[in-house]
Amino acid sequence: MNRLVLRNMLRLKPLACLCATFATVFALSACGSSGGSGGGGSAGSPDTGTDTLTFAAFNTFSGPNATFGPEQLAGCGPAAQAIVAAGGVLDHKTAVCNPEDSRGDPADAVPAAQQVIATSGHLVGVLGPGSDEAPATIPLFNRSHIPMFSDAGQGLFDKSTFKYFWRILPADDAVGYAMALYAHQQGYTRVASVFGTSIGAQGSAPTVAAGFKKLGGTITTAQLLALDQSSYRSEVAQMAAAKPQAIFIELDPQTAATYLSEVQQLYHQVPIIGTDGTTQPPWLKAVAGAIGKTTVQKFYVGAQPYAPTTGPAHKLWLTQLHGATSGVAKPVSQWENDSYSEAAWDATNIIALAMELSKSTNPIVYNTYITKVTSPGHVIVHDFAQGKAAILAGKAITYVGTTGPITFDQYQNSPGSFEINKSDASTVKTYSAADLQSAK
Amino acid sequence: MFHLVFASTLVESVGFGLVTASILAIAAVGFTLQFGVSNMLNLAYGDIMTAAAFGAYEVNKAGAPLWVSFIAGMATGAVTSVLLHRYIYRPFVRRGTQLVGLVIVALSAAVIIQNALLAGFGATFFTLKLPHTSTVHVAGATLTVLQLVIIGIAVAAMLAVDAMLRRTRLGKAMRATSGNPALARACGINTNRVVDTAWLIAGGLCGLAGVLLVLNTASFESTTGSDFLVITIAAAMLGGVGQAYGAMIGAVVLGVVTEVAAAYTRSSFKEVIAFAVLVIIVLIRPQGMFGQPVTALTMNKEVVN
Repeated sequence: MNRLVLRNMLRLKPLACLCATFATVFALSACGSSGGSGGGGSAGSPDTGTDTLTFAAFNTFSGPNATFGPEQLAGCGPAAQAIVAAGGVLDHKTAVCNPEDSRGDPADAVPAAQQVIATSGHLVGVLGPGSDEAPATIPLFNRSHIPMFSDAGQGLFDKSTFKYFWRILPADDAVGYAMALYAHQQGYTRVASVFGTSIGAQGSAPTVAAGFKKLGGTITTAQLLALDQSSYRSEVAQMAAAKPQAIFIELDPQTAATYLSEVQQLYHQVPIIGTDGTTQPPWLKAVAGAIGKTTVQKFYVGAQPYAPTTGPAHKLWLTQLHGATSGVAKPVSQWENDSYSEAAWDATNIIALAMELSKSTNPIVYNTYITKVTSPGHVIVHDFAQGKAAILAGKAITYVGTTGPITFDQYQNSPGSFEINKSDASTVKTYSAADLQSAK
Repeated sequence: MFHLVFASTLVESVGFGLVTASILAIAAVGFTLQFGVSNMLNLAYGDIMTAAAFGAYEVNKAGAPLWVSFIAGMATGAVTSVLLHRYIYRPFVRRGTQLVGLVIVALSAAVIIQNALLAGFGATFFTLKLPHTSTVHVAGATLTVLQLVIIGIAVAAMLAVDAMLRRTRLGKAMRATSGNPALARACGINTNRVVDTAWLIAGGLCGLAGVLLVLNTASFESTTGSDFLVITIAAAMLGGVGQAYGAMIGAVVLGVVTEVAAAYTRSSFKEVIAFAVLVIIVLIRPQGMFGQPVTALTMNKEVVN
């Protein structure tokens, strides 16, 4: 920059400078991202490029649910690095997994999704969107022909007709039934229901109440809390007055920490049965900080999609997770048995294998191969390297990931089992889809 | 019987409300002091509260006693506020940036602080280590010793602010600068220094409120303070923007109304009712409960020139 230009810039009013800076940064970022081969928008183009394949962990990296994004990235990042280590997909020797913040709110998520679609390099798959932003952004990715493996739990996606929508995690309504069944089996007849007002928390609230009532239980109070308040003492007093034996809960970490610490102060600690939203390490850290680690270990259980903690796929997952050189939030061990991270790892492998099998990085082509790499009865493979080797040897494959066998229904959902875990991730109960029928 | 239950719930929720009001009062008085002397709507105030909480957390993590953490939090808030005002807000005001421009600058500062904290400390949750506190029953309300300490600190802080404003030369200079900066300067008051000192004191209050807030919420992250900003501004507005005593009363009204509303309605309505009260009061008295009527809101460019 020459001196004259600099001097002129300094003469500008500060706000104008600020605007100019934003404009420059925006222009530079646009230039930087134009080097790709068109991203999702180039879905119809033939696969002649050798550019970097991009996976996007499109989830919440800021705000109350900021834990969801790192969870996806912890699965997607190691898988992308293992894909590169295995020689890449077709002629594409490099692949990356980028964190893309949806901000957990539909109003913010829509422009964020549009930006991901417009500016990502050769975007081949999305890990997400999550429950908070799924209804608003799934149509956008679908329209751009970008396969997405969503962790959205809403029941409305149980019969999704979006061609590029895939889900290998059970829906939230099933989480609610698992929680209700567990409470019933523990002998509780009076349980309080405490959920936040976020969209994501609404998936399991109705089914936990309906399931528990069907099993003969009573919901003593059903509270819907405004998130991140400085105090919930009045709500806790209301809840405590009904003398519940346990609490069904889904709140963001900070709200849960405040609420449960006040439960401990004003009432006495009662068993806590959380949704899968409560099983994440940051949630447990926040709550343990508020009510004590031993109290959490003693009183808390959380329901989450079942993922085996042994077997060859899990071993590969652990190796790749710990071998990842970047992109995984520390401590790495926190993701070892996180079924959402494991599902993201599986999803990245499945997308890459679908490209390998279809010999195309055109999503219109490889999207239809996703069911082919997971359909049973072929050579079983547990990661991308094994799958690629088998495909190159001319064999049909069945991908069995760290979340177990994956069988998609006609709506591209693969509902699995549920496990009830303690805070140290030890499993106290496992429920199959058939078990949950008693609560439905 | 019904009346007894109703009265008992009311007393209990008023007690709970006083804890929230205590934190809110400190935050709102700090906010209104800044606004009063410089007419700057500091929308990064909530994020400075968070920065202060992180300052206290670092000291607390190193094993220092809680009172040292309080001082560290206040110092972080004070220093951040002064730097923000001197090196970001004041240059824009001097160049004649209009109100909307200043709001954008303040919002930008808020985003920068919040994201710097997120980058520095990570997307996770933190807790200040506390000694175990027992529960006590005070006038029908159940409170912890910590909550009583929070109320005590707030009362002490408010008395100190009151004494400073009424009985010290600095306080009189602040009131003079707030009322008419040009006249204050003509009377020999160094308004620049007064404004800097006001931002330092207000920043200290902001830091104190941040530490008390995260003690009350039991856990915090990089956005905790910004979630508290709207209700802080509301309390300041309710009392009359720029009016320290008004901010104290506004905080008590909002804190108590919020908890009482939560006790008698659904939790998700508590802010609705609190802000409805704010709107009604401002409709009746646009200048707030203790504010002077104003004809137009203008930026006091001359204050900092």
